[in-house]
Amino acid sequence: MGKGIVVRLVRRLTGVLATLLAASFVIFAAVYAAPGDPAVFLAGGRDKLTPERLAQVRAEYHLDEPLAAQYGRWLWDCLHLDLGRSFKYSDQVSDLVAARFPTTLQLVLYATVLFVVLGVGAGVLAAVKRSTWVDSAVVGITTLAASVPSFVAAIALVSFFGVRLGWFPVTGSGSGFLGTVHHLTLPALSLALGALALVSRVTRQAMADAAASDHVAAARASGVPEREIVRRHVLRNALGPIVTMCGLVMAGMLAGTVVVETAFGLSGIGSLLVGAINTHDFPVAQAVLLLMVTGYIVVTTAVDAVHPLLDPRVKEVRS
Amino acid sequence: MTHPSRRPTGTGTGRAAPRQGARAAAGLVAASLLAAGCAGADTNTLGGAPADAAKLALRATTPPAQGPLDRADWLLEDEPDSLDLDRQGGSAGRVVLTNICERLYQLQPDMSVKPFLAEKARTPDDRTLVLTVRDGVTFHDGSKLTAADVLWSLKRHAAKDMEQSDEFGNVSSMRRTGPRELTIRFKEPDALFTKALAGDAGIVWNPRRVADAGKEFGTPGQADACSGPYRLKEWKSGDSLTIEAYADYWGPKPLTRRVVFRWASDSALVNALRTGAADGTYAESPNTAAALRRTKDLRQYYGPSTASLVLIPTARGGLKDPAIRRALSLSLDRKGIADSGYGGLVQPWAAPVGAGAWGYERPRFAAAQKKLSATAPETPTADDLAEAKKLVKEAGAPGDPVVIGTDSSQGRTVVANATRAALQRIGVPAQIKTVPPAQFEEFYSDPQARADIDVLVADWYISKADPMGFYDNGLSDSSNNWVGFKDAAYDRLVHKALATLDDAERARLTTEAQRRFVDAAVWIPVAQVPTALVLSDRLTGPPASQSYLYYPWAARLGARKG
Repeated sequence: MGKGIVVRLVRRLTGVLATLLAASFVIFAAVYAAPGDPAVFLAGGRDKLTPERLAQVRAEYHLDEPLAAQYGRWLWDCLHLDLGRSFKYSDQVSDLVAARFPTTLQLVLYATVLFVVLGVGAGVLAAVKRSTWVDSAVVGITTLAASVPSFVAAIALVSFFGVRLGWFPVTGSGSGFLGTVHHLTLPALSLALGALALVSRVTRQAMADAAASDHVAAARASGVPEREIVRRHVLRNALGPIVTMCGLVMAGMLAGTVVVETAFGLSGIGSLLVGAINTHDFPVAQAVLLLMVTGYIVVTTAVDAVHPLLDPRVKEVRS
Repeated sequence: MTHPSRRPTGTGTGRAAPRQGARAAAGLVAASLLAAGCAGADTNTLGGAPADAAKLALRATTPPAQGPLDRADWLLEDEPDSLDLDRQGGSAGRVVLTNICERLYQLQPDMSVKPFLAEKARTPDDRTLVLTVRDGVTFHDGSKLTAADVLWSLKRHAAKDMEQSDEFGNVSSMRRTGPRELTIRFKEPDALFTKALAGDAGIVWNPRRVADAGKEFGTPGQADACSGPYRLKEWKSGDSLTIEAYADYWGPKPLTRRVVFRWASDSALVNALRTGAADGTYAESPNTAAALRRTKDLRQYYGPSTASLVLIPTARGGLKDPAIRRALSLSLDRKGIADSGYGGLVQPWAAPVGAGAWGYERPRFAAAQKKLSATAPETPTADDLAEAKKLVKEAGAPGDPVVIGTDSSQGRTVVANATRAALQRIGVPAQIKTVPPAQFEEFYSDPQARADIDVLVADWYISKADPMGFYDNGLSDSSNNWVGFKDAAYDRLVHKALATLDDAERARLTTEAQRRFVDAAVWIPVAQVPTALVLSDRLTGPPASQSYLYYPWAARLGARKG
């Protein structure tokens, strides 16, 4: 039994590392192939764009080497825990990312809390009040919310609650717990709105499936109160798909904060990534994208890990 | 020799420039689509009242401050790349650092230049400059600033891979010739060298501090290495940067004790100013300033700048004939561009450099510019159009459509469309080629990228307050002379002017070079782009001109009421 767990862990870890390695190469190649020439951004002023100066810059940053050699160089440094220096900022990539990651993480966590509470809540409400006006209203409102792109939501929220009413700050990420919550409320809301429909729909459907099972009917027949049935049987059995969906949505958000960060003037890894792609800042783009991939893997792995705990039926199949 | 840059309209990409352009939201969102894989739109259509370009009064400075201020919140359009301007010349870093560091010469708000950390300068002959280093100046670590430190700094600026190395092209030797004296010798007389010393080539570093920091110099968490009125208190990467008044400063004490810099772009920047979360910004994009016009509690000041919007023709051939280029210049609706592309905050202009370059002999340059306006009307008259059509007819219209290269930012799109309209009006077929912002910069650097276009919708500025810092772009062998203009007389004139130390004589030669450059339409001037300072109405004091990049503007910032 213990041995089985170790083997499974090793297998899982190997899989994660292989995924990261493959992702790192794909990302490196994609950034390398993107239009535009990094040397232009490194050379200095426009009048400095003489062929000689560009050649000098390319040599200095090894941009004149073939893709495989550049990737090898990056990988070698990476294995020594050196992510290199940003072309643009000349600062250590690890410092740049470390300074900005907390902002993005807080934003995603806050947004996750919002869409879980509101989305799952709305889904449960719709399932319990199935086929009534409440159900239709939930489906209608969440669908409407989902059809608004996050940057439109961001701009609308800022101009109304930030500029017009002055209830919330319009830029920056704040300091201290309350300050951060105050600053990140509107950005997190813009991020969460799009996920509401999906999460509430999945919740509603999972509850409906669970409610249709035999033992729920049996419980009903034996006179267990309805509230008890919903809580102990229906919701409990529906948790698997709900948690999976929430995990996937949250993992996806890690890579989707950029638009909202820009609209709210937040310096997170999303805006760092866009700047890096625009200026061909290889080391930074590489590190941020890998961090996003890692975040995705971590979240989905965690979901996989809790799944058997939620649903005993899954356990047997999984191993 | 010049320090051109992307300025007002593009997506601010990178260090290609001493002064980054504002990120056009469209570009940014488009880029974020690549990153995030969703759909976006242009958030740059912000409200605001248009100005009348013709009535825009330019002023060098704002009314003097009357009272002290504990803290000012200032906005930048981007986080500084680095505070080591020898390695990264982005403008966000320069706006901050010019309050922390000092230069051998200083650019004044009126764009003139005077000796500064070099308190005296002598030129025993055309090829020798003797500088006397100011006494009683200390760096922020308390150590005394010496002639040896100055020499060390100059040598660092001149090193091969540093941003300013090309300013030292004419220098044959730099030596310490006395306790407070440096002597610089030149291979050729260099009229622009002292102007360069008012820029980043004249920053005096504390060598001990630079050596201590090593590779990390200029990155967040490092102390500064300078002697200016403010010292760097803290730079929290990705969050904010704070400077505070330096207690032992040798000059007058600033009124404002602390300035906290944050950064935001487009609508976030506009909203921060609208809600009073920030006190001011030097708007890099006229569209930002346009969006904030007539906002309660905010004032705007416009100042002379060297920046301009231009059309740069290429060697591809559609605009090979100077007659066609002159015709295009005659038929371009510059006022229409200023009004609909830039909210009236740029001014139709007939020279390729803005009025901020007139750091000396201003009346002469102003008169020359007025004279040129016949070749570049604000709004083409019937006569202008008839003349343009005649030029095209004599030269023969190009068979293939003229391809106009641009990116998708609001201002540039308007310029591109106006250019197409102007060409079509005079019987020249034209089409627009739009590229992503990240690719746009390549037009400037890569002749192969330019092989697909006949003319580029461009912007340019020079860092020195001397128009002569621009006209070397028309030299036969300049990499910025894309259209292949070759004129031996012009080349001689430029070299002579660059080696003429006498201001009046250099101004005469410069206006002559300018006339030839415009006649040949090597570039086609569109508009000058004034500096726009947006400031809370509780505050006043800093310069409104382009000098804010090289002058300690925060030291003049203070409360309006004493």
